[in-house]
Amino acid sequence: MLSGLFGVGGGIVMVPAMVLLLAFGQARAQATSLAAIVPIAAVGALIFGRADSVDLVAALLLAAGSLLGVQAGARLMHRLSDERLSLIFGIFLVIVALTMLLA
Amino acid sequence: MSPDQIGDLVQLALIGLAAGFLAGLLGIGGGVLMVPAMVLLLGFDQHVAQGTSLMVVIPAALTGSYTHHRNGRLFLRDAAILAAGGVIGAVIGAVFALSIDDDILRRLFAGFLLVIAVRMLLPKGLFRRESKG
Repeated sequence: MLSGLFGVGGGIVMVPAMVLLLAFGQARAQATSLAAIVPIAAVGALIFGRADSVDLVAALLLAAGSLLGVQAGARLMHRLSDERLSLIFGIFLVIVALTMLLA
Repeated sequence: MSPDQIGDLVQLALIGLAAGFLAGLLGIGGGVLMVPAMVLLLGFDQHVAQGTSLMVVIPAALTGSYTHHRNGRLFLRDAAILAAGGVIGAVIGAVFALSIDDDILRRLFAGFLLVIAVRMLLPKGLFRRESKG
């Protein structure tokens, strides 16, 4: 639901929900979230695409960068403990929340 | 192609790189970084930024998930159930977003994130259940 609301994948909600409500380990929650984002983003992109709200040239350039970045991030994730990942995720949430409040 | 345009292209690739890194490391889509970056740095229209971001997230999440799967961290059954709910929610969310004031919505969401962040940063056992793998 938040994915449609804010144009984000929804992982920012799915990850904490799995960790806090379902007691998933942090790495497992993050891996599950990323996989669930694939069809969610596909539905979202389809809706936006029908409304001509997709810039394909920009998408190609962003995708080129993100394909490199995602591999680096995913490999690093497997080298970090759940405790360390939770800490990084928590700090990331604080930064996002403060940015939204101050924007 | 003018230097200005080349600068934009380089910026797009770098934004993608940073968003992808967050996606792989934290299991989020990366839109939370891409959308504001496109709007604020490159002057994209909000709707185009959101649509483009969602498009970019698809290949990034797919390849990142493959890496997690190879490392034995991904449970496809859980992801499928989560995705089923997420897809329905995405449609409801898009409709709901249009009917509520933007500023109120943003502040509510930010407050919600702060509460979650505090709970995640607190030591285990205080509020959190023991995690299972």
